[in-house]
Amino acid sequence: MTNMIDIDDVWKIYDVGGEKIEALKSVNLTIEKGTFISIVGHSGSGKTTLLSILGGLTKPSQGRVHIEGIDIWNLNDRELSAMRNRKIGFIFQFSSLIPTLRAIDNVALPVIYANGGGKTDRKATYEYARELLSTLGLGNKLQSFPSELSGGQQRRVSIARAFINRPSIIVADEPTGDLDMQSESEVMEFFSHNNEQEKTTFLLVTHNLALARMTDKVHTMKNGMLNQNNGGFTV
Amino acid sequence: MKIYQVALKEIGKRKMRTLYTSFGIAVAVSMLISVMITASSGQKEVFNVIARYGHSLTITPVDKSSSQSLKNFGIGTGSYIPESALPEILNVYQDAIVAGWEKIGGLIFQDGTVGIGGVAFPPPTFAPRLYEEATVKGKDVIIGGVVLDKELIARFWWDIDTGRFMDNDNEVIIGKLFATLTQTKPGDTLDIGSAKMTVTGVIRETDSPDDYMVFTSLKACQRIFNKQGKISMINVRAMCPKCPVGEAAVEINKKVLGVRATSQMEIATAQSQIFQKTTALIVSFVVASLIISCIGVFNIIMGAIHGRMREIGLLKALGASKNQLVRFFLYEAVLIGVTGGIIGFVLGSALSHIVGPILFKDIVIQVSPRFLVIAVLLGTMASIVASIYPALYASKIRVTEAFKSL
Repeated sequence: MTNMIDIDDVWKIYDVGGEKIEALKSVNLTIEKGTFISIVGHSGSGKTTLLSILGGLTKPSQGRVHIEGIDIWNLNDRELSAMRNRKIGFIFQFSSLIPTLRAIDNVALPVIYANGGGKTDRKATYEYARELLSTLGLGNKLQSFPSELSGGQQRRVSIARAFINRPSIIVADEPTGDLDMQSESEVMEFFSHNNEQEKTTFLLVTHNLALARMTDKVHTMKNGMLNQNNGGFTV
Repeated sequence: MKIYQVALKEIGKRKMRTLYTSFGIAVAVSMLISVMITASSGQKEVFNVIARYGHSLTITPVDKSSSQSLKNFGIGTGSYIPESALPEILNVYQDAIVAGWEKIGGLIFQDGTVGIGGVAFPPPTFAPRLYEEATVKGKDVIIGGVVLDKELIARFWWDIDTGRFMDNDNEVIIGKLFATLTQTKPGDTLDIGSAKMTVTGVIRETDSPDDYMVFTSLKACQRIFNKQGKISMINVRAMCPKCPVGEAAVEINKKVLGVRATSQMEIATAQSQIFQKTTALIVSFVVASLIISCIGVFNIIMGAIHGRMREIGLLKALGASKNQLVRFFLYEAVLIGVTGGIIGFVLGSALSHIVGPILFKDIVIQVSPRFLVIAVLLGTMASIVASIYPALYASKIRVTEAFKSL
């Protein structure tokens, strides 16, 4: 299988008031296309930093990150922005909607930034946005503003947004944190379906071991170091 | 949806802040626009007066001994032009006018007159005056000796308020201010030197030194003050539009000794230059206030950016490039600038209607659409200049920094 992501000896060191904090220590990870992996670990173990580096949001202090063979930290701002926009769908661990836009506009937002803000197929974009929201149980909330939605509904809107550009990779940081059990199960089913049908690669950061068990591979992080495990891992 | 639509929705949510920021720009723009409208209308007024009164020259002696009181009136006594010099001055004037028209391709008739469309212009009017000082009814006043028929052409705005113009050498007409201050009316007798003169009329107010003068015939004035054959100045009305009187003035100054000819247009131009310099000074103060407004806009937008760190980080994470983020904030700047420009134009126009009449009597304030264009461009430019740094700052915010702000 083709490697979707190659993380090679990545370090992240923060300078906090003159003190060096090693958030990541020589992390190596290879993720094949279409796999669904999860990363578990305590708070402060470096999970979010790792997602942030491989998602092109935070520059590593050392090491390389390749996505489909491209060294993403050698790209210029425009190329990296385009990479984030088209290849990666982000689901953040906090509410991340633009409050002035309706749910459907929030979902369509990444398409606006695709192609340098140039021409897009508006009709197809909004049709797909509607389809995604309906699949996630928000077919009747398309025109609602974030302030009119519950925390769980807002989370589902941001999940739909992550899929709007049909990305190759979904990076999800505690994606079901605000959801009740049924919604959580529906979202995981949606992820699995997409993973199987579209061969989308998933990286899931979670504290929830039940969710982690549903993925192909589980990785643990501790003190900035990554341990690789095959599926069936228990803590 | 486009990036500018996202920006508009964002602005729509913060209408009051946008309006408040725009108002900062509007105040400075309004001051600038009111100065520009008032200056432009005032300048037009100066040239309109010249156009209304016709192109004209004033010929005076090269003055060496005028008394200070008369100089305050802008007129001189004590130095004279001999009446015998009039034909020479007229000849030099005519030759210069013909030469001037030839130079600009005007039509010259066989008899030396000039004209347009086959019709000759009427000959110029030379209206001589003699000025002398006298004490009348206990007031120091200037007595003007004039040739009435020529004077009425040269100063065609003269009109009688009460009574009539004088008919003979024993009669005088008086300025409105003098009449009011001395309680003089038609039918009264005035002692001027050793002569007793009858007042036949009062001239309607002209807003000129004429209002505080007494006029009699040139001959009577020369006789009373024993200045036969002498005149103090000559008003020349060219009687043709766009006559090259400036060149005539140059020729008279060059060829006729002892006189100084000044074209009214030169005076207007000099006034206009002083006016432009004053306007430039005021504009520099207003530009300073525009800079202060820019600092205000800068602070407000920087504050807004700090309040929207998470949104900016999110947009970057979703794929917005630096360029797109700069555009996002510049759209807001443009909207603030355009709104400020329009409000500034409206306020500035209103202000010029208040300030204009205080500075210029009878001014007609002319608000041209070009001032709207200037106001909008100026407001937009100021807003963009003030927003460039905040926009660049926003574009450089690191996503992780933005997320830390949660």
